[in-house]
Amino acid sequence: MTRRGRPSTSWIVPLGLGAVCALLAIGSLRSSLFAQQTVSGLANGGIYASLAVALVLIYRATEVINFAQGAIATFTTYVAWQLMQWGLSYWPAFACTLGIAFGGGFVLELVAIRPVERRGSVLSVVIAAIGLLILVEGSIGWIWGNEVKFMPTPFPAHIYTVGGVAFSRQDLSTIAISLVAVLVLWLFFQFTKVGLAMRAAAVRPDAARLVGVRVSWMLSLGWGLAAALGAVAGMMAAASPSVLLQPSMMDGILIYAFAAAVVGGLESAAGAVVAALLIGVLLNLVTTYVHFVGPALQLPVAFVIMLVVLLVKPSGLFGRTRVRRV
Amino acid sequence: MRPARGTVAGAAVAIVVAAVIGLLPLALSDYHRSTGATVAVYFIAILALDIVTGYTGQISIGHGAFMAIGGYATAILTHDHGWNDLATLPVAAAAGFAAGVVVGLPALRFHGVYLALTTFAVALAVPQIAKNYSHFTGGTEGLSLPSHSGLWLYEVGWAIAGATFVLAWLLLRGRTGRAFRAVRDSEIAAASAGVTLAVYKTAAFGVSAAMAAVAGSLFVLVNSFVNPDVFGLQLSLYVLIGAVVGGLGSLWGVLAGAAFVQLLPVGLTTGHLASSQAVPVIFGAVVIGVMALLPLGAADVLRAVLRSASTRGKHSETPLGTEGR
Amino acid sequence: MTRRMKTALATAGLVIAAAAVSAAFASAAGTPGVTARTIVIGGTFPLTGPAALYGAIPKAEAAYFSYVNAHGGVNGRQIVFKYYDDQYNPANTVPLTKKLVQQDHVFAVYGSLGTAPTLATRDYLNKLGVPQVLVATGDSYWGAQYRKYPWTIGFQPDYPGESRVYGKFVASKVPQAKIGVLMQDDAYGQNYYQGLLQGLGASKSKIVDVEKYDPTQTDVSAQVVKLKAAGANVFALFALPTQTITALVVATKIGWHPTTFVNNVSASPLFMALAQKSGANVDGDISATYLYDYINNPSTATAKLFKSIVDKYDPGANLLDANIEYAFANAWTVVYALKHAGKNPTRQSFMNALTHLDVVNPFLYPGIRMVTTPTERFPIDQQILEQYKNGAWHPFGHVFSKAR
Repeated sequence: MTRRGRPSTSWIVPLGLGAVCALLAIGSLRSSLFAQQTVSGLANGGIYASLAVALVLIYRATEVINFAQGAIATFTTYVAWQLMQWGLSYWPAFACTLGIAFGGGFVLELVAIRPVERRGSVLSVVIAAIGLLILVEGSIGWIWGNEVKFMPTPFPAHIYTVGGVAFSRQDLSTIAISLVAVLVLWLFFQFTKVGLAMRAAAVRPDAARLVGVRVSWMLSLGWGLAAALGAVAGMMAAASPSVLLQPSMMDGILIYAFAAAVVGGLESAAGAVVAALLIGVLLNLVTTYVHFVGPALQLPVAFVIMLVVLLVKPSGLFGRTRVRRV
Repeated sequence: MRPARGTVAGAAVAIVVAAVIGLLPLALSDYHRSTGATVAVYFIAILALDIVTGYTGQISIGHGAFMAIGGYATAILTHDHGWNDLATLPVAAAAGFAAGVVVGLPALRFHGVYLALTTFAVALAVPQIAKNYSHFTGGTEGLSLPSHSGLWLYEVGWAIAGATFVLAWLLLRGRTGRAFRAVRDSEIAAASAGVTLAVYKTAAFGVSAAMAAVAGSLFVLVNSFVNPDVFGLQLSLYVLIGAVVGGLGSLWGVLAGAAFVQLLPVGLTTGHLASSQAVPVIFGAVVIGVMALLPLGAADVLRAVLRSASTRGKHSETPLGTEGR
Repeated sequence: MTRRMKTALATAGLVIAAAAVSAAFASAAGTPGVTARTIVIGGTFPLTGPAALYGAIPKAEAAYFSYVNAHGGVNGRQIVFKYYDDQYNPANTVPLTKKLVQQDHVFAVYGSLGTAPTLATRDYLNKLGVPQVLVATGDSYWGAQYRKYPWTIGFQPDYPGESRVYGKFVASKVPQAKIGVLMQDDAYGQNYYQGLLQGLGASKSKIVDVEKYDPTQTDVSAQVVKLKAAGANVFALFALPTQTITALVVATKIGWHPTTFVNNVSASPLFMALAQKSGANVDGDISATYLYDYINNPSTATAKLFKSIVDKYDPGANLLDANIEYAFANAWTVVYALKHAGKNPTRQSFMNALTHLDVVNPFLYPGIRMVTTPTERFPIDQQILEQYKNGAWHPFGHVFSKAR
């Protein structure tokens, strides 16, 4: 029994997205409140995007949902904070943190995940990731304490006013940095040898081994890169005033990042980015304009959106429909 | 036909374990009896998860949501309508079953990780919904219920746990169980063998959710209080951890999983081995360690122990007849 | 039976025996928690998890107790303070409280934090006659429902009392007020809102918009933008610290400069500093306090004592964190009550001491007196308004008495 892939409906998604963009543009031109919420929604979406791409990275390589991604991001943000406490200024600390995050992610995969992976199923690895989440979040409190800390922001509180709408430099820079990080990663995967090896290891590990790719090192590399992306997300999040530097900092963001990754199609980084931006904007707009949705229902609404998308396209917006053959 | 020696050994172990559990409260303080009752709650929830994930292969990370439905059903009926607490359990089970079927419907369309994340979303959404309709649920201030002695909770908890175990065992060794396992092992083969996937997948979710709802009701009775935070994400994750650490696809590992996930964190928190900040670090490390050393869970060890009690392995089924691979 | 099975059963037997033996050692004689040399009190607090920023409170309280113990203790007894991490989850609070009562044999459950956690254990503790005292939440229940729950008593001024003061201020001092409210969508926010309405009286018609948020939403910029759009020039901020900081920053960002009232829970200098560093213009914001003003009186005996105890017993503590100051005032109160419970304290004599208070607590704002009677069970119901200027809060006006 075969189940054929769907007849080509690849025009639905771009059309839908185009329609959404048009709506947002029209709305923004007509109402400054709308524009304001859209821009700050995009900024939030940028943060979700970095974390979502980290999730996709690991999922593509190992089929594991890394529940610990948010906690690792928070940990690396604390590392950045500590470096700044020791005297480093922002951008050098940022750069160091990316390096440390990369190394840390690499080591974590080696020490915590690989032993489980070798002998267990995907679900065992997921449980190990949950254990890692508990461990990492706990260790932040253990090392640095639980009280709230101040994370300096590199962006001066400069506000651009365009047509009655206040855009902060912070918001715009967050969007820019998140997109740049994702772009750099994409370039790495498309145009470097190591990137190619990693993609090969993710898609066809056995074939990759045959041509000499060290598959297990590729997995560790993947975790390293994901941790670095998470560090970007964490630092952008901590720089925003609505997120305080505390151990549970990324808990809420992780949930939206998951939703974004799923909606985008867990195997598509571009999809995750688009979905993340969309979710960020939609959440802000729903809060502003839809009144019967009480504040507590904002999270369920995000999931209803996710569910609706999945019902229409079960592998996400940009995921490939699976063809199953007997 | 003589039953295999393995089955007799299995039954003997079951009786001994039941006896130990039954007699244990005599040696325990009221506080420890309450703790024992909470282990029973996790036992039922993990058992429920095992049915849908271990036996039917449908991953669910959100069993806390079903527990919440049962828990709130019991709380609202008891608090607002004066029902007797035990009388609410069948209602909770029915509500859970309905919810399970509703969640199971997308399961027909989603697979693997998408299903897992959908259930994850449900687990997060349900407490928020409870917060929003605070008129019914008491919101964050919650609802208080009449309390019971540790002994009552323990006896009721383990009686229900035992009954659920027997029900599960009967369900899983029969045709339904074989159908579940067929769905897990190969959906396509199962379908071509005449197993209606839709019916069995939804049934698995329904039964599993009904059990989880009962666990949730008991949980609320143990704490004599309910509010949305009680059924947060941590609960779903702990139930999942317990199921995997105990060993999926095996009813025996459930007890080990429940004990692990309830006793270890509480023991660490209230013991003097670790500062309160170090507790999650240790617990997380232990979970990772257990997964590295025993990736198939405690049931794997138990299975090995009991397999040595069977006749020279000519049987196609493992000794206990309740798990199959 | 194989040898392996025998071993397994034997191990199980040993484990059970060990549990039984340890259970047998749990014994108590006389008043629970009181021995000739010690008195044991305990509580539950969120040390990890989303509410962990309150974890500084039990540490500071423990520091104060260490100081008291080093100076002879209470009536010759050393205070033993046990506290457990409930992560703000009532499902943890209940078993941990049972442990405190049944295994640690505490004399009283002290200072537990959180409305829902306290509600979850209130029935149990009152049924057993275990004092549930000086709980760290501003709900009115603890003082109002004493007839049904005589063993429970609160500590801090309740939330409605605080916002009533704001309401009265606006009604009398801000005649052209157009009031916008941002509140948490649950009992916490509701309590504050109701108090505001009571304080405003006839002026409550001046409320132009009420926006709500859920604790899981950290970004309240949408709500703040709407409040500005509604034309409000007075901003009542009834939110937890995270959302308070966001609201203050966003308000400045969008060019909105209302007269802002920050609720006491979120007004810690730590949070105001964070908001300011993030770009908020917080000068002129108003709050209320009942704690001693250490920052503006650093050389007084009280301030020096405070600093010396923190330095010696809780060295990691951040002095900008008002939780520490709160903890000291609270700990002082329980020590006072224990002392006045007599040479051989019982739970009843302890509750009597707490319901017959008439004393000045040195860690409270001068002029505030802690007064309770068996029918008037709010230990602190006086506050003073304060205004934020140049990096610190400055109390002004007079102490509002009987805010009720």
